[in-house]
Amino acid sequence: MRAERLLAPLPGLLFLALLLLVLEWAVGEGLIRRALMPPPSAIWEVLRDLLLSGDVLPPLAATLRLVLIGFALGSAAGVALGTAMGWWGAAYRLLEPLVEMLRPIPKAALVPPLMLFLGIGDMMKITSVALAVTFPVLVNTLQGVRGVDRVLLDSARTHGWGTGRALRHVVLPAALPFILAGMRTSLGLALIIAVLSEMLTGQGGLGFLILDMQRSFLIRQMYAWLVILALVGLALNALFAWAEARALHWQQRQ
Amino acid sequence: METLILELDAVGKSFPARGGPPTLAMDRVSLSVREGEFLSILGPSGCGKSTLLQIAAGLMEPSAGAVRVAGRAVKGPPPEAVYVFQQYGRSLLPWRSVRDNVAFAVEHRPGMSRSRARAVADAQLAAVALTGFGDHFPWQLSGGMQQRVALARALAAEPRILLMDEPFSAVDALTRLDLHRLMLELWEKRGLTVVLVTHDVEEAVALSDRVALLTKRPSTIARVVETGLPRPRDAVEVRETARFLELRHELLDALLTRGGHAG
Repeated sequence: MRAERLLAPLPGLLFLALLLLVLEWAVGEGLIRRALMPPPSAIWEVLRDLLLSGDVLPPLAATLRLVLIGFALGSAAGVALGTAMGWWGAAYRLLEPLVEMLRPIPKAALVPPLMLFLGIGDMMKITSVALAVTFPVLVNTLQGVRGVDRVLLDSARTHGWGTGRALRHVVLPAALPFILAGMRTSLGLALIIAVLSEMLTGQGGLGFLILDMQRSFLIRQMYAWLVILALVGLALNALFAWAEARALHWQQRQ
Repeated sequence: METLILELDAVGKSFPARGGPPTLAMDRVSLSVREGEFLSILGPSGCGKSTLLQIAAGLMEPSAGAVRVAGRAVKGPPPEAVYVFQQYGRSLLPWRSVRDNVAFAVEHRPGMSRSRARAVADAQLAAVALTGFGDHFPWQLSGGMQQRVALARALAAEPRILLMDEPFSAVDALTRLDLHRLMLELWEKRGLTVVLVTHDVEEAVALSDRVALLTKRPSTIARVVETGLPRPRDAVEVRETARFLELRHELLDALLTRGGHAG
């Protein structure tokens, strides 16, 4: 059983390794121009130097900071607004048109106008990330709060629980699977918007570096940073999946 | 003079209907429940028994009439009453352990520490013979055990009146008898008042002091029967007495042949 679980990702990893070998070979044979796509081994050398020298840390920290602060703020706003809209009909009727107006806008398009108001500093970038994060969390929270079983709510009422306690101890835990699903979607968006806002402002972090390396024809460096970005995304997802499984341990029924 | 713990005075309930006048589900239901008695409300399926009980519990507002619990008009769930749901599985918090589900009934009370709430919970779990299951999650228990958790939670609140909505209808026959015995034991020990809604004639007769017979929609009370069966009684053995069979016959007859209609 344990061996099976360890072996399960093996075919996928082997396929990935095969692709890298084919790439290496194709670049070596001149089928792909070296100037556009250096061989994986050359990228690996740059990557190794970046990791060993510690040069990777400052840009990585800058981007992670944007992602995490923006994600936290956006999630908090999404849960608060979604809960209010799901619980109080008046809040829903007040906010629903506004939310439906703003929700379909690709949040990347909001970065330029936000730059006008907030400049090109962290304030603007964090706001952009938070905005992108808010909506999926809001919509999922709304759905989760509305879907809470009537019987559960009446149980709280017959035991004399007030609205505040019921929201905190019954409604939010019951809606948590929905809320976390929204947050999982938002985490990917947070990384996208963080990188994009770094590119558009030409300042700090992984996004800026990738663009900067491309413009400076440091193609191997560009790919190395791209790999780092991919690993960041992978790590954030894995971390979130772990936290989600812990928070929803009670769901392991069946 | 006996205390009336629950009084329903000409209670009516109508529900809005699409493209027409509201449907009258319940019409002028009047009923007085004495403190300490075990009363069943018996009626055919879909007659609005649960609606009546929810109105008594302050979970639903009546369209007409008045409800009083312990002499006070009901506006929202009164502290003297606890409602036990038919859908026990859905009434328990799935993310909480059995112990914390029971503690749910008392942990919000002033001066109640977490450890005291848990001690209360353990004592109530012992009373429903679930000692040792405190750390389980509800879904790890059988249906009958889940209903006992719900019962322990209701008892932990120390209500004066327990309002039970077909609490034994979703478990198998043997478990039901087991729960009947437990229910009678708890009722006798604690001096509770129980109002039980059911469509099971035998259950109503075996457990109750009085049985109120509800008619089909718009439902109203056709009559109230004193069972006159001895106390304390055993929920299984009582079924072999002549009086039980007589009542069973009479009430089944009323439900079946007259379709539960008044008069």
